[in-house]
Amino acid sequence: MKLNRLFISCFLAALSFLSVLGQSSTPEIGSIVENFSLPDTDGVVRSLDSLSGPKGTVVIWLSAQCPVVRGYKDRINQLAEVYKAKGINFVGINSNATEDLNWVKSNITEFGYKFPVLIDKGNVLADKWGATVTPEVYFLDASRKLIYHGAIDNDRSGRNVTEKYLESAFEASLGNKPVTRTRANAFGCTIKRAAKTQGTN
Amino acid sequence: MTKLFKNSSFYGGFAGALLAPALLIFALCISQVSAQSKKTRPARPSKTPATNANTNGADNRVKLIDEVGLKSLLEPKGKPVLINFWATWCDPCREEFPDLVKIDNDYKDRIIFYAISIDDPEDINTKVPQFLNSMKANMPAFLLKTADESAAITSISPLWNGGMPFTALYDTSGKLVYFREGKIVPESLREELDKVLAGTNK
Repeated sequence: MKLNRLFISCFLAALSFLSVLGQSSTPEIGSIVENFSLPDTDGVVRSLDSLSGPKGTVVIWLSAQCPVVRGYKDRINQLAEVYKAKGINFVGINSNATEDLNWVKSNITEFGYKFPVLIDKGNVLADKWGATVTPEVYFLDASRKLIYHGAIDNDRSGRNVTEKYLESAFEASLGNKPVTRTRANAFGCTIKRAAKTQGTN
Repeated sequence: MTKLFKNSSFYGGFAGALLAPALLIFALCISQVSAQSKKTRPARPSKTPATNANTNGADNRVKLIDEVGLKSLLEPKGKPVLINFWATWCDPCREEFPDLVKIDNDYKDRIIFYAISIDDPEDINTKVPQFLNSMKANMPAFLLKTADESAAITSISPLWNGGMPFTALYDTSGKLVYFREGKIVPESLREELDKVLAGTNK
């Protein structure tokens, strides 16, 4: 009897491990991601391919409310401007169920984003890509291969940046060299998902 | 699970990558439980980390820790460990805090609960303790300052990308048994606590 209980407990532990992993579908580094289409803030449906840069694309999860995104806005704008000239485009995504269209629009104006921000209603794309944080970037090369995923740099305050993860990935890619650091995390705001997907764990 | 990948070998590789650690967990779990069932577990007093030894008054109640200190908090201490990462700038963190204080009060002496702020170290004696005091929060409180945030996040869970708030529960052996990225659902967390405590009392 005791042995049976032990086996059942351990089987359940292994199953729960699988179910936890199953919730994360983050594309792996080196994978080609699928094209997607989402509406912009004017309701015009735009595809990733139509917004991609000739040398690559940054898909960046944003939030109007998140103080960490606010702290990064100047760095985001600077990177977007400098690297657009070098062929890398930025595409913003807002998946926060708590931020309505008007809020997102006024935030784009306030923060001065010069790149499109697409609305991911129901966090469908965030679920598919496993995006959970703002700001969180996915850098795709010209063939839509994921070559960097995670944080922009290693200091959200901006005062003590010692590792410019995203910029280093840009420079490596533009120089046809492999990206040395392909993953890095940083503290940020959790994407506020629609009610239907809350409380899953 | 996803149509994201064009490479068809992904599925086979991914399934293998999932099954192998799952089988490992199964095997490890059996060996752990078998080993534990053979010895009586001594009643150990809950250890308070050395970094919190001088907690007096409101000003300095929050202790600065680095990634080494964070790791030491997660070492097995004879009781389940609940850990919450929060910041004063994080709205959902502040919103869930009253529920966490209630849980801390209800499970006091049965679990160890650490609150880890990731605020700016400049705020360690001001904003951070002020918020905790306003919440009537009595749990040991720390502020994490690390040169390698990414490594600290991954050390808590490889599945965590750094979204705040984050709450994790470890069993008496120090194994991560539950985590929540985003606001807690109090009932779910209580269920998990009850489950891990039932395991402890077996």
